[in-house]
Amino acid sequence: MELREIISTGNDLAAEAAVDAGCMFFGGYPITPSSEVMHTISDLLPAVGGVCIQMEDEIAGVACAIGAGMAGHRTMTATSGPGISLKAENLGLAQMAEVPLVVVNVMRGGPSTGLPTRVSQGDVRQAKNPSHGDYRSITLCAGNLAECYTETVRAFNLADRFMQPVFVLLDETIGHMHGKAMIPTVEAVQAGIVPRQQFTGAPEDYRPYGVEGDEAAVLNPMFQGYRYHFTGLHHDAKGFPTEEIETCRKLIQRLEDKVMMHTDELELNEEFMCDDLEENDVLIIAYGSVSLAAKESIRHLRAAGIKAGLFRPITLWPSPAERIKYFTDKVKNVLCVELNIRQYTEEVERVSSRLDIHGLYKVNGRAISPYEIVNKVKEII
Amino acid sequence: MARTLMRFTGVGGQGVLLAGEIFAAAKIKEGGHGLKTATYTSQVRGGPTVVDITLDDEEIFYPYANDGEIDFMLSVAQASYNLFKNGVSEGGTIVVEPNLVHPSDEDRKKWNIVEIPIITIAKDEVGNVITQSVIALAIANTFMKALDDELLRGVMLSKVPSKVHDVNNKAYDLGKKYALEAMAS
Repeated sequence: MELREIISTGNDLAAEAAVDAGCMFFGGYPITPSSEVMHTISDLLPAVGGVCIQMEDEIAGVACAIGAGMAGHRTMTATSGPGISLKAENLGLAQMAEVPLVVVNVMRGGPSTGLPTRVSQGDVRQAKNPSHGDYRSITLCAGNLAECYTETVRAFNLADRFMQPVFVLLDETIGHMHGKAMIPTVEAVQAGIVPRQQFTGAPEDYRPYGVEGDEAAVLNPMFQGYRYHFTGLHHDAKGFPTEEIETCRKLIQRLEDKVMMHTDELELNEEFMCDDLEENDVLIIAYGSVSLAAKESIRHLRAAGIKAGLFRPITLWPSPAERIKYFTDKVKNVLCVELNIRQYTEEVERVSSRLDIHGLYKVNGRAISPYEIVNKVKEII
Repeated sequence: MARTLMRFTGVGGQGVLLAGEIFAAAKIKEGGHGLKTATYTSQVRGGPTVVDITLDDEEIFYPYANDGEIDFMLSVAQASYNLFKNGVSEGGTIVVEPNLVHPSDEDRKKWNIVEIPIITIAKDEVGNVITQSVIALAIANTFMKALDDELLRGVMLSKVPSKVHDVNNKAYDLGKKYALEAMAS
Protein backbone atom coordinates (compact mmCIF):
# COMPACT_ATOMS: atom_id res chain seq x y z
CA MET A 1 0.00 0.00 0.00
CA GLU A 2 1.18 3.48 -0.83
CA LEU A 3 2.07 5.40 2.30
CA ARG A 4 2.62 9.08 2.96
CA GLU A 5 4.89 10.69 5.55
CA ILE A 6 3.37 13.00 8.10
CA ILE A 7 4.89 14.72 11.12
CA SER A 8 2.28 15.00 13.80
CA THR A 9 1.00 13.92 17.20
CA GLY A 10 -1.21 10.96 18.03
CA ASN A 11 -4.17 13.13 18.94
CA ASP A 12 -3.96 15.14 15.71
CA LEU A 13 -3.64 11.95 13.68
CA ALA A 14 -6.80 10.52 15.27
CA ALA A 15 -8.70 13.67 14.29
CA GLU A 16 -7.38 13.61 10.73
CA ALA A 17 -8.17 9.92 10.38
CA ALA A 18 -11.76 10.53 11.41
CA VAL A 19 -12.32 13.16 8.76
CA ASP A 20 -10.54 11.08 6.10
CA ALA A 21 -12.77 8.12 7.03
CA GLY A 22 -15.89 10.17 6.42
CA CYS A 23 -16.75 11.35 9.92
CA MET A 24 -19.17 14.27 9.61
CA PHE A 25 -19.95 14.98 13.26
CA PHE A 26 -18.01 15.39 16.46
CA GLY A 27 -19.70 16.07 19.78
CA GLY A 28 -17.60 16.44 22.86
CA TYR A 29 -16.26 18.28 25.83
CA PRO A 30 -12.49 18.83 25.90
CA ILE A 31 -10.52 17.04 28.58
CA THR A 32 -6.78 16.57 29.09
CA PRO A 33 -5.02 14.69 27.54
CA SER A 34 -7.48 14.27 24.66
CA SER A 35 -8.30 17.95 24.01
CA GLU A 36 -6.21 18.23 20.84
CA VAL A 37 -8.43 15.66 19.11
CA MET A 38 -11.31 18.09 19.46
CA HIS A 39 -9.20 21.19 18.71
CA THR A 40 -8.00 19.68 15.47
CA ILE A 41 -11.29 18.21 14.31
CA SER A 42 -13.03 21.52 15.04
CA ASP A 43 -10.78 22.99 12.33
CA LEU A 44 -11.17 20.12 9.90
CA LEU A 45 -14.88 19.29 10.00
CA PRO A 46 -16.38 22.63 8.88
CA ALA A 47 -14.08 22.55 5.83
CA VAL A 48 -15.77 19.35 4.62
CA GLY A 49 -19.30 20.41 5.53
CA GLY A 50 -19.28 18.59 8.85
CA VAL A 51 -20.14 19.78 12.33
CA CYS A 52 -18.10 19.91 15.53
CA ILE A 53 -19.94 21.00 18.63
CA GLN A 54 -18.64 21.62 22.13
CA MET A 55 -21.43 20.66 24.49
CA GLU A 56 -22.02 21.64 28.11
CA ASP A 57 -20.52 18.46 29.51
CA GLU A 58 -19.24 14.99 28.68
CA ILE A 59 -22.70 13.44 28.82
CA ALA A 60 -24.18 15.85 26.29
CA GLY A 61 -21.08 15.44 24.14
CA VAL A 62 -21.61 11.72 23.60
CA ALA A 63 -25.41 12.11 23.49
CA CYS A 64 -25.32 14.40 20.48
CA ALA A 65 -22.68 12.22 18.80
CA ILE A 66 -25.04 9.25 19.22
CA GLY A 67 -27.83 11.36 17.74
CA ALA A 68 -25.75 12.02 14.64
CA GLY A 69 -25.09 8.28 14.41
CA MET A 70 -28.84 7.60 14.65
CA ALA A 71 -29.37 10.06 11.81
CA GLY A 72 -27.01 7.99 9.69
CA HIS A 73 -23.71 9.86 9.85
CA ARG A 74 -20.25 8.69 10.78
CA THR A 75 -19.73 10.29 14.19
CA MET A 76 -17.14 10.52 16.92
CA THR A 77 -16.45 11.76 20.40
CA ALA A 78 -13.11 11.93 22.21
CA THR A 79 -12.37 12.04 25.89
CA SER A 80 -10.30 10.56 28.69
CA GLY A 81 -11.19 8.10 31.44
CA PRO A 82 -13.23 10.50 33.62
CA GLY A 83 -15.24 11.35 30.51
CA ILE A 84 -15.95 7.70 29.77
CA SER A 85 -17.27 7.35 33.33
CA LEU A 86 -19.75 10.13 32.62
CA LYS A 87 -20.61 8.87 29.15
CA ALA A 88 -21.13 5.29 30.31
CA GLU A 89 -24.93 5.41 30.47
CA ASN A 90 -25.22 6.72 26.93
CA LEU A 91 -22.64 4.24 25.67
CA GLY A 92 -24.93 1.51 27.01
CA LEU A 93 -27.80 3.06 25.06
CA ALA A 94 -25.71 2.99 21.88
CA GLN A 95 -24.91 -0.68 22.49
CA MET A 96 -28.57 -1.53 23.04
CA ALA A 97 -29.95 0.58 20.18
CA GLU A 98 -27.01 -0.50 17.97
CA VAL A 99 -25.81 2.97 17.02
CA PRO A 100 -22.36 3.14 15.40
CA LEU A 101 -20.01 5.60 17.05
CA VAL A 102 -16.26 5.98 17.48
CA VAL A 103 -15.03 6.86 20.96
CA VAL A 104 -11.40 7.92 21.30
CA ASN A 105 -10.13 7.62 24.86
CA VAL A 106 -6.71 9.14 25.53
CA MET A 107 -5.92 7.48 28.84
CA ARG A 108 -4.62 9.37 31.87
CA GLY A 109 -4.14 8.38 35.50
CA GLY A 110 -7.25 7.35 37.44
CA PRO A 111 -9.49 6.53 39.20
CA SER A 112 -11.62 9.69 39.35
CA THR A 113 -9.83 12.82 38.14
CA GLY A 114 -6.55 11.03 38.90
CA LEU A 115 -3.46 12.43 37.20
CA PRO A 116 -4.77 14.64 34.37
CA THR A 117 -1.55 15.21 32.44
CA ARG A 118 0.12 11.87 32.93
CA VAL A 119 0.17 8.57 31.14
CA SER A 120 -1.77 5.50 32.18
CA GLN A 121 -3.49 2.44 30.75
CA GLY A 122 -6.00 2.28 33.56
CA ASP A 123 -9.09 2.28 31.31
CA VAL A 124 -8.52 -1.08 29.63
CA ARG A 125 -10.96 -2.87 31.90
CA GLN A 126 -13.40 0.05 31.73
CA ALA A 127 -13.39 -0.13 27.93
CA LYS A 128 -14.47 -3.75 28.13
CA ASN A 129 -17.60 -2.95 30.13
CA PRO A 130 -18.22 0.78 30.52
CA SER A 131 -21.88 0.29 31.38
CA HIS A 132 -24.12 -2.41 32.80
CA GLY A 133 -25.66 -5.33 30.94
CA ASP A 134 -24.46 -7.86 28.40
CA TYR A 135 -22.78 -6.74 25.23
CA ARG A 136 -19.33 -7.09 23.72
CA SER A 137 -16.99 -4.17 23.55
CA ILE A 138 -14.86 -3.63 20.47
CA THR A 139 -11.70 -1.87 21.65
CA LEU A 140 -8.69 -1.03 19.51
CA CYS A 141 -5.42 0.26 20.92
CA ALA A 142 -2.83 2.30 19.03
CA GLY A 143 0.77 1.31 19.72
CA ASN A 144 2.51 3.96 17.63
CA LEU A 145 1.78 7.23 15.83
CA ALA A 146 0.71 5.63 12.56
CA GLU A 147 -1.84 3.50 14.35
CA CYS A 148 -3.48 6.56 15.88
CA TYR A 149 -4.51 7.14 12.28
CA THR A 150 -5.06 3.62 10.98
CA GLU A 151 -6.89 2.32 14.05
CA THR A 152 -9.24 5.30 14.04
CA VAL A 153 -10.03 4.56 10.39
CA ARG A 154 -10.57 0.89 11.25
CA ALA A 155 -12.82 1.88 14.15
CA PHE A 156 -15.18 3.73 11.81
CA ASN A 157 -15.40 0.76 9.47
CA LEU A 158 -15.99 -1.65 12.34
CA ALA A 159 -18.61 0.61 13.93
CA ASP A 160 -20.64 0.54 10.72
CA ARG A 161 -20.05 -3.19 10.23
CA PHE A 162 -21.05 -4.17 13.77
CA MET A 163 -23.44 -1.31 14.47
CA GLN A 164 -22.13 -0.35 17.88
CA PRO A 165 -19.66 1.99 19.58
CA VAL A 166 -15.99 1.18 18.95
CA PHE A 167 -13.30 2.40 21.32
CA VAL A 168 -9.91 3.64 20.18
CA LEU A 169 -7.55 3.70 23.15
CA LEU A 170 -4.64 6.08 23.01
CA ASP A 171 -2.65 7.06 26.05
CA GLU A 172 -1.10 10.36 27.04
CA THR A 173 2.31 9.38 25.67
CA ILE A 174 1.03 8.26 22.26
CA GLY A 175 -1.50 11.10 22.09
CA HIS A 176 1.05 13.84 22.70
CA MET A 177 4.24 12.48 21.21
CA HIS A 178 5.35 14.29 18.09
CA GLY A 179 7.18 12.58 15.27
CA LYS A 180 7.02 10.83 11.95
CA ALA A 181 4.21 8.53 10.90
CA MET A 182 3.81 6.66 7.63
CA ILE A 183 0.09 6.47 6.94
CA PRO A 184 -2.19 5.46 4.05
CA THR A 185 -3.26 8.06 1.52
CA VAL A 186 -6.67 9.68 1.84
CA GLU A 187 -7.68 7.97 -1.41
CA ALA A 188 -6.81 4.55 0.02
CA VAL A 189 -8.78 5.29 3.20
CA GLN A 190 -11.78 6.43 1.21
CA ALA A 191 -11.57 3.40 -1.07
CA GLY A 192 -11.70 1.18 2.02
CA ILE A 193 -14.91 2.65 3.41
CA VAL A 194 -17.75 0.15 3.53
CA PRO A 195 -20.92 2.08 4.24
CA ARG A 196 -23.33 0.63 6.78
CA GLN A 197 -26.01 -1.70 5.48
CA GLN A 198 -29.29 -0.22 4.35
CA PHE A 199 -32.71 -1.76 3.76
CA THR A 200 -34.02 -0.89 0.31
CA GLY A 201 -37.33 -2.75 0.27
CA ALA A 202 -40.78 -1.34 0.91
CA PRO A 203 -40.95 0.80 4.08
CA GLU A 204 -43.79 -1.36 5.50
CA ASP A 205 -41.51 -4.42 5.33
CA TYR A 206 -38.64 -2.74 7.19
CA ARG A 207 -37.60 -4.58 10.40
CA PRO A 208 -34.35 -2.86 11.56
CA TYR A 209 -33.79 -5.25 14.47
CA GLY A 210 -35.41 -8.27 12.87
CA VAL A 211 -32.12 -9.75 11.66
CA GLU A 212 -30.46 -13.17 12.01
CA GLY A 213 -28.99 -14.22 15.36
CA ASP A 214 -25.41 -13.20 14.58
CA GLU A 215 -26.14 -10.12 12.52
CA ALA A 216 -26.07 -6.43 13.35
CA ALA A 217 -29.17 -4.24 13.13
CA VAL A 218 -29.85 -2.55 9.79
CA LEU A 219 -30.56 1.08 10.66
CA ASN A 220 -31.45 3.25 7.71
CA PRO A 221 -30.66 6.96 7.81
CA MET A 222 -33.46 9.08 9.19
CA PHE A 223 -35.89 11.15 7.13
CA GLN A 224 -35.99 8.78 4.18
CA GLY A 225 -39.34 7.20 4.87
CA TYR A 226 -38.16 4.24 6.94
CA ARG A 227 -39.71 4.62 10.36
CA TYR A 228 -38.50 2.86 13.47
CA HIS A 229 -38.00 3.44 17.16
CA PHE A 230 -34.88 3.91 19.29
CA THR A 231 -34.92 2.77 22.90
CA GLY A 232 -32.66 1.50 25.64
CA LEU A 233 -35.41 -0.93 26.67
CA HIS A 234 -35.53 -4.45 25.32
CA HIS A 235 -37.23 -4.05 21.96
CA ASP A 236 -38.86 -5.88 19.08
CA ALA A 237 -37.97 -5.99 15.38
CA LYS A 238 -39.18 -2.41 14.84
CA GLY A 239 -37.48 -1.10 17.94
CA PHE A 240 -40.53 -0.80 20.18
CA PRO A 241 -40.28 -1.86 23.84
CA THR A 242 -41.32 -5.39 24.67
CA GLU A 243 -41.04 -7.89 27.50
CA GLU A 244 -41.85 -10.89 25.33
CA ILE A 245 -39.63 -13.69 26.67
CA GLU A 246 -38.08 -15.01 23.47
CA THR A 247 -37.65 -11.58 21.88
CA CYS A 248 -35.73 -10.35 24.94
CA ARG A 249 -33.51 -13.43 25.08
CA LYS A 250 -32.75 -13.34 21.38
CA LEU A 251 -31.92 -9.64 21.40
CA ILE A 252 -29.25 -9.87 24.09
CA GLN A 253 -27.90 -13.14 22.72
CA ARG A 254 -27.59 -11.42 19.35
CA LEU A 255 -25.61 -8.51 20.86
CA GLU A 256 -23.18 -11.15 22.12
CA ASP A 257 -23.11 -13.28 18.98
CA LYS A 258 -22.84 -10.52 16.40
CA VAL A 259 -19.38 -9.82 17.81
CA MET A 260 -18.19 -13.14 19.21
CA MET A 261 -19.15 -15.21 16.17
CA HIS A 262 -17.15 -12.85 13.96
CA THR A 263 -13.96 -12.27 15.95
CA ASP A 264 -11.94 -13.14 12.83
CA GLU A 265 -13.01 -9.78 11.41
CA LEU A 266 -11.82 -7.98 14.54
CA GLU A 267 -8.64 -9.59 15.79
CA LEU A 268 -5.38 -7.82 15.09
CA ASN A 269 -2.00 -8.03 16.74
CA GLU A 270 1.69 -7.51 16.09
CA GLU A 271 4.35 -10.15 16.70
CA PHE A 272 7.70 -8.40 17.06
CA MET A 273 10.76 -10.71 16.95
CA CYS A 274 8.61 -13.67 17.94
CA ASP A 275 9.50 -15.98 15.02
CA ASP A 276 12.50 -17.61 16.65
CA LEU A 277 11.13 -17.88 20.20
CA GLU A 278 11.54 -21.27 21.84
CA GLU A 279 10.41 -22.75 25.13
CA ASN A 280 13.03 -21.16 27.38
CA ASP A 281 12.95 -17.72 25.77
CA VAL A 282 10.93 -14.69 26.87
CA LEU A 283 7.58 -13.46 25.57
CA ILE A 284 6.68 -9.91 26.53
CA ILE A 285 3.04 -8.90 26.17
CA ALA A 286 2.39 -5.16 26.02
CA TYR A 287 0.19 -2.70 24.13
CA GLY A 288 -0.11 1.05 23.61
CA SER A 289 2.89 3.22 24.45
CA VAL A 290 4.34 0.54 26.72
CA SER A 291 5.02 -1.58 23.66
CA LEU A 292 7.50 1.11 22.50
CA ALA A 293 9.56 0.61 25.65
CA ALA A 294 9.18 -3.15 25.21
CA LYS A 295 10.58 -3.04 21.67
CA GLU A 296 13.54 -0.99 22.83
CA SER A 297 14.09 -3.44 25.71
CA ILE A 298 14.12 -6.36 23.25
CA ARG A 299 16.96 -4.67 21.35
CA HIS A 300 18.96 -4.50 24.59
CA LEU A 301 18.03 -8.05 25.66
CA ARG A 302 18.96 -9.60 22.34
CA ALA A 303 22.25 -7.68 22.33
CA ALA A 304 22.92 -9.31 25.72
CA GLY A 305 22.12 -12.77 24.35
CA ILE A 306 18.61 -13.07 25.81
CA LYS A 307 16.07 -14.06 23.19
CA ALA A 308 12.87 -12.10 23.75
CA GLY A 309 9.92 -11.11 21.58
CA LEU A 310 6.87 -8.90 21.91
CA PHE A 311 3.26 -9.92 21.41
CA ARG A 312 1.19 -6.77 21.05
CA PRO A 313 -2.58 -6.95 20.89
CA ILE A 314 -3.96 -4.13 18.72
CA THR A 315 -7.56 -5.23 19.13
CA LEU A 316 -7.73 -5.48 22.93
CA TRP A 317 -11.39 -6.54 23.11
CA PRO A 318 -12.26 -9.12 22.02
CA SER A 319 -8.72 -10.30 22.68
CA PRO A 320 -6.67 -12.12 20.02
CA ALA A 321 -7.17 -15.23 22.14
CA GLU A 322 -5.89 -17.89 19.73
CA ARG A 323 -2.59 -16.13 19.06
CA ILE A 324 -2.06 -15.44 22.78
CA LYS A 325 -2.73 -19.12 23.50
CA TYR A 326 -0.34 -20.18 20.74
CA PHE A 327 2.54 -18.19 22.21
CA THR A 328 1.79 -18.82 25.87
CA ASP A 329 1.71 -22.57 25.10
CA LYS A 330 5.05 -22.32 23.38
CA VAL A 331 7.09 -20.00 25.62
CA LYS A 332 7.66 -20.59 29.32
CA ASN A 333 8.62 -17.10 30.47
CA VAL A 334 5.74 -14.71 29.83
CA LEU A 335 5.86 -11.12 31.09
CA CYS A 336 2.93 -8.71 30.86
CA VAL A 337 3.92 -5.06 31.09
CA GLU A 338 1.14 -2.56 31.74
CA LEU A 339 0.56 0.95 33.07
CA ASN A 340 -2.14 -0.42 35.36
CA ILE A 341 -2.36 -3.35 37.74
CA ARG A 342 -3.03 -6.59 35.89
CA GLN A 343 -5.90 -5.30 33.73
CA TYR A 344 -4.85 -7.28 30.65
CA THR A 345 -2.77 -9.85 32.50
CA GLU A 346 -6.03 -11.32 33.75
CA GLU A 347 -7.18 -11.76 30.15
CA VAL A 348 -3.87 -13.43 29.28
CA GLU A 349 -4.31 -15.74 32.27
CA ARG A 350 -7.84 -16.57 31.12
CA VAL A 351 -7.03 -17.41 27.52
CA SER A 352 -3.75 -19.18 28.34
CA SER A 353 -5.11 -21.10 31.35
CA ARG A 354 -1.84 -20.23 33.07
CA LEU A 355 -1.43 -18.66 36.48
CA ASP A 356 2.34 -18.18 36.28
CA ILE A 357 2.32 -15.11 34.05
CA HIS A 358 4.81 -12.52 35.31
CA GLY A 359 3.91 -8.85 35.54
CA LEU A 360 5.54 -5.45 35.55
CA TYR A 361 3.12 -2.69 36.44
CA LYS A 362 3.32 1.03 37.11
CA VAL A 363 0.52 3.32 38.26
CA ASN A 364 2.20 6.60 39.23
CA GLY A 365 1.69 8.41 35.94
CA ARG A 366 5.23 7.76 34.72
CA ALA A 367 6.23 5.67 31.75
CA ILE A 368 7.90 2.28 32.12
CA SER A 369 11.42 2.56 30.74
CA PRO A 370 13.13 -0.07 28.56
CA TYR A 371 15.67 -0.70 31.33
CA GLU A 372 12.97 -1.52 33.84
CA ILE A 373 11.71 -4.17 31.45
CA VAL A 374 15.24 -5.49 30.85
CA ASN A 375 15.81 -5.79 34.59
CA LYS A 376 12.48 -7.54 35.13
CA VAL A 377 13.22 -10.04 32.36
CA LYS A 378 16.62 -10.81 33.90
CA GLU A 379 14.86 -11.41 37.21
CA ILE A 380 12.36 -13.94 35.85
CA ILE A 381 14.58 -16.08 33.62
CA MET B 1 25.04 9.32 13.80
CA ALA B 2 24.51 7.84 17.23
CA ARG B 3 21.36 8.72 19.10
CA THR B 4 21.19 12.32 20.31
CA LEU B 5 19.16 12.97 23.43
CA MET B 6 18.34 16.52 24.48
CA ARG B 7 16.14 17.82 27.24
CA PHE B 8 14.63 21.30 27.55
CA THR B 9 13.11 22.24 30.87
CA GLY B 10 11.21 25.24 32.07
CA VAL B 11 7.88 26.10 33.58
CA GLY B 12 4.53 25.96 31.87
CA GLY B 13 3.83 29.06 29.81
CA GLN B 14 7.42 29.97 28.95
CA GLY B 15 7.08 28.62 25.46
CA VAL B 16 10.38 26.79 25.40
CA LEU B 17 8.58 23.66 24.22
CA LEU B 18 8.28 24.57 20.56
CA ALA B 19 11.99 23.98 20.06
CA GLY B 20 11.45 20.24 20.51
CA GLU B 21 8.98 20.01 17.65
CA ILE B 22 11.29 21.96 15.38
CA PHE B 23 14.23 19.66 16.15
CA ALA B 24 12.20 16.52 15.48
CA ALA B 25 10.74 17.89 12.26
CA ALA B 26 14.15 18.98 10.96
CA LYS B 27 15.72 15.60 11.65
CA ILE B 28 12.85 13.88 9.83
CA LYS B 29 13.25 16.29 6.93
CA GLU B 30 16.89 15.26 6.76
CA GLY B 31 15.73 11.67 6.30
CA GLY B 32 16.19 10.41 9.84
CA HIS B 33 13.93 9.93 12.81
CA GLY B 34 12.98 12.48 15.47
CA LEU B 35 10.59 12.33 18.38
CA LYS B 36 9.49 14.94 20.87
CA THR B 37 7.65 14.24 24.09
CA ALA B 38 6.58 16.82 26.63
CA THR B 39 5.72 16.19 30.23
CA TYR B 40 3.84 18.78 32.14
CA THR B 41 1.78 19.06 35.28
CA SER B 42 -1.87 19.91 35.75
CA GLN B 43 -0.97 23.50 36.68
CA VAL B 44 -1.86 25.73 33.73
CA ARG B 45 1.12 27.98 34.30
CA GLY B 46 4.11 27.66 36.56
CA GLY B 47 4.38 23.90 36.78
CA PRO B 48 7.67 22.23 35.87
CA THR B 49 7.75 21.21 32.22
CA VAL B 50 10.19 18.96 30.42
CA VAL B 51 10.64 18.26 26.74
CA ASP B 52 12.69 15.28 25.61
CA ILE B 53 14.04 15.24 22.08
CA THR B 54 15.40 12.07 20.52
CA LEU B 55 17.16 12.18 17.15
CA ASP B 56 18.47 9.10 15.40
CA ASP B 57 19.14 7.69 11.96
CA GLU B 58 17.48 4.46 13.11
CA GLU B 59 13.82 4.07 14.07
CA ILE B 60 13.11 5.31 17.60
CA PHE B 61 10.65 3.32 19.68
CA TYR B 62 10.71 4.57 23.27
CA PRO B 63 10.06 8.31 23.07
CA TYR B 64 11.48 9.46 26.42
CA ALA B 65 15.09 10.02 27.35
CA ASN B 66 16.45 7.43 29.75
CA ASP B 67 17.88 8.95 32.89
CA GLY B 68 21.64 9.18 32.72
CA GLU B 69 21.78 9.11 28.91
CA ILE B 70 20.95 12.72 28.07
CA ASP B 71 23.75 14.55 26.24
CA PHE B 72 22.45 18.08 26.59
CA MET B 73 19.97 19.91 28.79
CA LEU B 74 18.81 23.50 28.75
CA SER B 75 16.96 24.95 31.72
CA VAL B 76 15.25 28.25 32.35
CA ALA B 77 13.69 27.50 35.75
CA GLN B 78 15.23 26.40 39.04
CA ALA B 79 12.45 23.99 40.02
CA SER B 80 12.65 22.16 36.70
CA TYR B 81 16.41 22.17 36.81
CA ASN B 82 16.39 20.48 40.20
CA LEU B 83 13.82 17.91 39.12
CA PHE B 84 15.33 16.89 35.81
CA LYS B 85 19.11 17.49 35.97
CA ASN B 86 19.89 13.90 36.98
CA GLY B 87 18.85 12.69 33.56
CA VAL B 88 22.01 14.22 32.10
CA SER B 89 25.01 11.94 31.66
CA GLU B 90 28.10 12.74 33.71
CA GLY B 91 30.16 15.32 31.86
CA GLY B 92 27.16 16.30 29.75
CA THR B 93 26.37 19.92 29.03
CA ILE B 94 23.70 21.87 30.89
CA VAL B 95 22.95 25.38 29.69
CA VAL B 96 21.18 27.49 32.30
CA GLU B 97 19.66 30.97 32.35
CA PRO B 98 21.89 32.39 35.17
CA ASN B 99 19.25 34.86 36.36
CA LEU B 100 16.82 32.05 37.07
CA VAL B 101 18.87 28.91 37.69
CA HIS B 102 21.65 28.61 40.24
CA PRO B 103 23.50 25.29 40.04
CA SER B 104 25.45 24.11 43.11
CA ASP B 105 29.24 23.73 43.19
CA GLU B 106 28.73 19.99 43.19
CA ASP B 107 26.69 20.24 39.99
CA ARG B 108 29.45 22.25 38.36
CA LYS B 109 31.89 19.40 39.05
CA LYS B 110 29.56 16.77 37.64
CA TRP B 111 28.40 18.53 34.50
CA ASN B 112 29.68 21.08 32.03
CA ILE B 113 27.46 23.94 33.21
CA VAL B 114 27.23 26.87 30.83
CA GLU B 115 25.53 30.15 31.73
CA ILE B 116 23.76 32.01 28.94
CA PRO B 117 21.16 34.65 29.84
CA ILE B 118 18.62 33.36 27.32
CA ILE B 119 15.64 35.34 28.58
CA THR B 120 17.61 38.59 28.89
CA ILE B 121 18.87 38.14 25.34
CA ALA B 122 15.33 37.54 24.10
CA LYS B 123 13.94 40.56 25.93
CA ASP B 124 16.73 43.10 25.49
CA GLU B 125 18.61 42.14 22.35
CA VAL B 126 15.87 40.56 20.22
CA GLY B 127 13.11 42.61 21.80
CA ASN B 128 10.61 39.77 22.15
CA VAL B 129 10.64 37.35 25.08
CA ILE B 130 8.79 34.69 23.09
CA THR B 131 11.87 34.20 20.92
CA GLN B 132 13.65 32.47 23.81
CA SER B 133 12.66 29.12 22.33
CA VAL B 134 14.45 29.96 19.09
CA ILE B 135 17.52 31.14 21.00
CA ALA B 136 17.41 27.86 22.92
CA LEU B 137 17.12 25.93 19.67
CA ALA B 138 20.20 27.61 18.22
CA ILE B 139 22.21 27.12 21.43
CA ALA B 140 21.34 23.42 21.62
CA ASN B 141 22.21 22.81 18.00
CA THR B 142 25.49 24.70 18.26
CA PHE B 143 26.59 22.62 21.24
CA MET B 144 25.32 19.30 19.88
CA LYS B 145 26.12 19.84 16.20
CA ALA B 146 22.99 17.75 15.68
CA LEU B 147 21.71 19.20 12.43
CA ASP B 148 22.67 21.51 9.63
CA ASP B 149 22.03 25.08 10.82
CA GLU B 150 20.23 26.22 7.70
CA LEU B 151 17.98 23.14 7.64
CA LEU B 152 17.00 23.75 11.25
CA ARG B 153 16.50 27.46 10.66
CA GLY B 154 14.31 26.72 7.63
CA VAL B 155 12.04 24.39 9.60
CA MET B 156 11.87 26.95 12.41
CA LEU B 157 10.82 29.69 9.98
CA SER B 158 8.17 27.41 8.46
CA LYS B 159 6.51 27.21 11.86
CA VAL B 160 6.22 30.94 12.55
CA PRO B 161 4.27 33.62 10.65
CA SER B 162 6.30 35.39 7.93
CA LYS B 163 5.90 38.79 9.62
CA VAL B 164 8.09 37.57 12.51
CA HIS B 165 10.76 35.87 10.38
CA ASP B 166 13.24 38.73 10.91
CA VAL B 167 12.97 38.70 14.66
CA ASN B 168 13.28 34.90 14.77
CA ASN B 169 16.27 34.95 12.44
CA LYS B 170 17.88 37.45 14.77
CA ALA B 171 17.11 35.21 17.74
CA TYR B 172 18.66 32.22 16.00
CA ASP B 173 21.81 34.18 15.12
CA LEU B 174 22.17 35.47 18.66
CA GLY B 175 21.68 32.02 20.16
CA LYS B 176 24.41 30.64 17.94
CA LYS B 177 26.74 33.56 18.70
CA TYR B 178 26.37 33.22 22.48
CA ALA B 179 26.82 29.45 22.28
CA LEU B 180 30.02 29.78 20.22
CA GLU B 181 31.36 32.35 22.68
CA ALA B 182 30.57 30.08 25.62
CA MET B 183 32.23 27.13 23.91
CA ALA B 184 35.36 29.18 23.21
CA SER B 185 35.77 30.43 26.75
